[in-house]
Amino acid sequence: MDDLLRSTLSRRRLLQTAAGAAALGAGAGLPWGPGAMAQGWADRPKSKVDKVNFVVWTYGDIYTKIAQKFEQDWGVKVDSTISSFNDHPTKLATMFAGGEAIDVSQSSPFSFPAFVKQGMVEPLTGLPGIDEYVKDFTGFTKEVAVIDGKPMGLPYFSAIWVWNYYEDMLAKLKVDKPFATYEEFIEHCVKAKKDGLCRYPVLWVAGVGLEQLPGTWYAIVANKGGRFFDKDGKHMLGPGSIAREVLKWWANTFEKGLDISDPESLKLQFTTSAKAFGAGNNLYRGPNHHYGLNVVNDPAQSPIAGKVKVHGFPGDGRTIGVTHVYFLNSANRDKEWAWKLLQYLGGRTKDGAYTQAVNLAKDAMLGSGYRSVMGSDVIKTGWKPWGDPDAILGMWEKATYIGEVCNSVYQPWHFPWTDQLNIEVQKCLTGQITADQCCDNLIKGIDDAKRKAR
Amino acid sequence: MTGQAAETAAGAHTAARRPFWRRELSVGWLAFFMNVPSMAVLFGVLAYPIYYAGYLSLHQVGLAQMRRGVFPFYGLQNYANLFEDPLFWLALKNTMLFTVFVVTVEVAAAVAIGLLLMQTSVWTSRVTRFLMLLPYAVPPIANGLIWSFIYNFKFGFLNRVLLTLGVVSEPINWSGHADTALIAVAIPYIWRTLPFAVLLVYAALQGINRDLYEAAAVDGASAWRRFWHITLPMLRPIIVVILILRTSFAFAVFEEILAITQGGPGDATWVAAWYGYKVSFAPPFNIGMGAASAYVLALIVGLFAIAYVKLFYRRMA
Repeated sequence: MDDLLRSTLSRRRLLQTAAGAAALGAGAGLPWGPGAMAQGWADRPKSKVDKVNFVVWTYGDIYTKIAQKFEQDWGVKVDSTISSFNDHPTKLATMFAGGEAIDVSQSSPFSFPAFVKQGMVEPLTGLPGIDEYVKDFTGFTKEVAVIDGKPMGLPYFSAIWVWNYYEDMLAKLKVDKPFATYEEFIEHCVKAKKDGLCRYPVLWVAGVGLEQLPGTWYAIVANKGGRFFDKDGKHMLGPGSIAREVLKWWANTFEKGLDISDPESLKLQFTTSAKAFGAGNNLYRGPNHHYGLNVVNDPAQSPIAGKVKVHGFPGDGRTIGVTHVYFLNSANRDKEWAWKLLQYLGGRTKDGAYTQAVNLAKDAMLGSGYRSVMGSDVIKTGWKPWGDPDAILGMWEKATYIGEVCNSVYQPWHFPWTDQLNIEVQKCLTGQITADQCCDNLIKGIDDAKRKAR
Repeated sequence: MTGQAAETAAGAHTAARRPFWRRELSVGWLAFFMNVPSMAVLFGVLAYPIYYAGYLSLHQVGLAQMRRGVFPFYGLQNYANLFEDPLFWLALKNTMLFTVFVVTVEVAAAVAIGLLLMQTSVWTSRVTRFLMLLPYAVPPIANGLIWSFIYNFKFGFLNRVLLTLGVVSEPINWSGHADTALIAVAIPYIWRTLPFAVLLVYAALQGINRDLYEAAAVDGASAWRRFWHITLPMLRPIIVVILILRTSFAFAVFEEILAITQGGPGDATWVAAWYGYKVSFAPPFNIGMGAASAYVLALIVGLFAIAYVKLFYRRMA
């Protein structure tokens, strides 16, 4: 569970911290006192550089804005290299291997252990202001960004997995509320198909990726109280395991079973699935990042904007969450200036505000990796146009970090194993192999992945 | 000694007295020096990378080693790891299937289209000659994206047409179904690369002496016999060239895979180049093993080329 919401910190106590005050002030548009200027993030590095750079994956125009702000504040040019999410590790790897200078970069929690192992990540220990940042990290962020007690990155954003449903279609189905159990979910879907409301009632995020298809499986397994590995790293995929049973259930919703799953699911990533759901052809959208609502409820992008609601998991509502990070690249041209730039992306700007985190919440419905931001009104007001912030924050309280469900994410071999997981699970969902064969293959694949990562 | 011989001897004597840079080169040396620039370029852009890939394949190479420029010797371990990986064998199998299908279709289609283009009496052949080149101008990645829209399960053009015509009652998941995905990638690939083969065949057809056909016609040979006994044998050298080039390129198919299926669904379209890319450039960035896979691939392509030359050229001889 996330520290923020598990803790008993009150709004009053948050306000008492400088960090909280900074974020809240930024959200409310309050002027900043000279006190902020005395902090580490406001000091100019002694060294001189002509420029700094970052290598990240694309997200709207957030990087243009933050680069401009950095240039205005410090008079140092910022170069950016921006690729798609899936191409980012490759882009970063080739630049690093090619000997280019990279000051700041970005990682999903799944690639991060590999980047650390390859010596690409510079620890942040001892840098001015880092201790304050770590104190403000949420539980998710600590899980990703603190490795062996050393802070290795600052948070980019946090997200939890939620379900969505199309309100009008549910009403046509003559059902008062969305499913409360998995059995009810199947009932609704079968009825929607039988009544001719839609050909494929459920759209999953089951495209190949690190947290797309795997995330859907992880989320349902977590909700049912299962895991993929125990604390000693031993797999929990054997016969009768929750993970195996969930896969059987999931595969049965596809063509060879109940045939209620949209076949297009196997290609969809988070945003593309939100866009596809916006066509209004499905009743439910399977577990996915909560911020997809900012696409599917945006009138400019979706014909059913405003009609898509967020829905929690069945049972106790347990779900999973994740934090992505920015990190100081060991190939930086100047550590002090790289740290300064890193703070602009994942921490505070010169005025002491969490500018990027606040903008991401307001513009893109993203969660923050900082407790002070998550506890501020920025989240509630920022998310309001697309969804129900209170409902989502309620689900957030029940979120477990993805690494607790699948602790191989902390290992460099997780990446090659996920490659295999994507392949085997897609084969299972398309009826080429059974769920039992899939899990057996994944068990065998663990050693193979470890060998590849050596 | 004749006058001519005396002149030659005198010339040789004069040449021997000239400094070496003013002497006329022998044919052999001239050929050598004329080839030096192209050899240097070929060495730089082909031989050195091939050598370097071989070097990397024998060393432990990850990001950290690439950055430092220090590669611990790894012997044949990368190759051992490669051959132990079932995914590599599957990728090779898929590549073989893809290549056999693509090359067979391309050769047959190129000959057929080339013959049609030769029919100057059909005015559309002139239009076709121009239009044929268009797919070749489309960048491979753009081609992949265009076809991924065409194949789209719910909104794709192909399913719309088939549904409207009543050919199918439900849309088909062309690129998302394991049974059809490899073909779904092969079709756009053929569409893009076929014009090259057509151009070669068309050029070769124009070089065939018309008298041969006239003579055969006088002897009462049917169109099929004229094709079988004149056209096809005369096309054989160019078909060998097409086979070698198209096989080597088809073995390295990558862009259409990236744009349309990304290897999926499952492993249905994992091909050798995709495998090498994923191994090298996705965590844990095993560049040495990726180089080994590329080397094995190059070796197979080389064997195919030798086989083609031996089989077809021997027959021709």
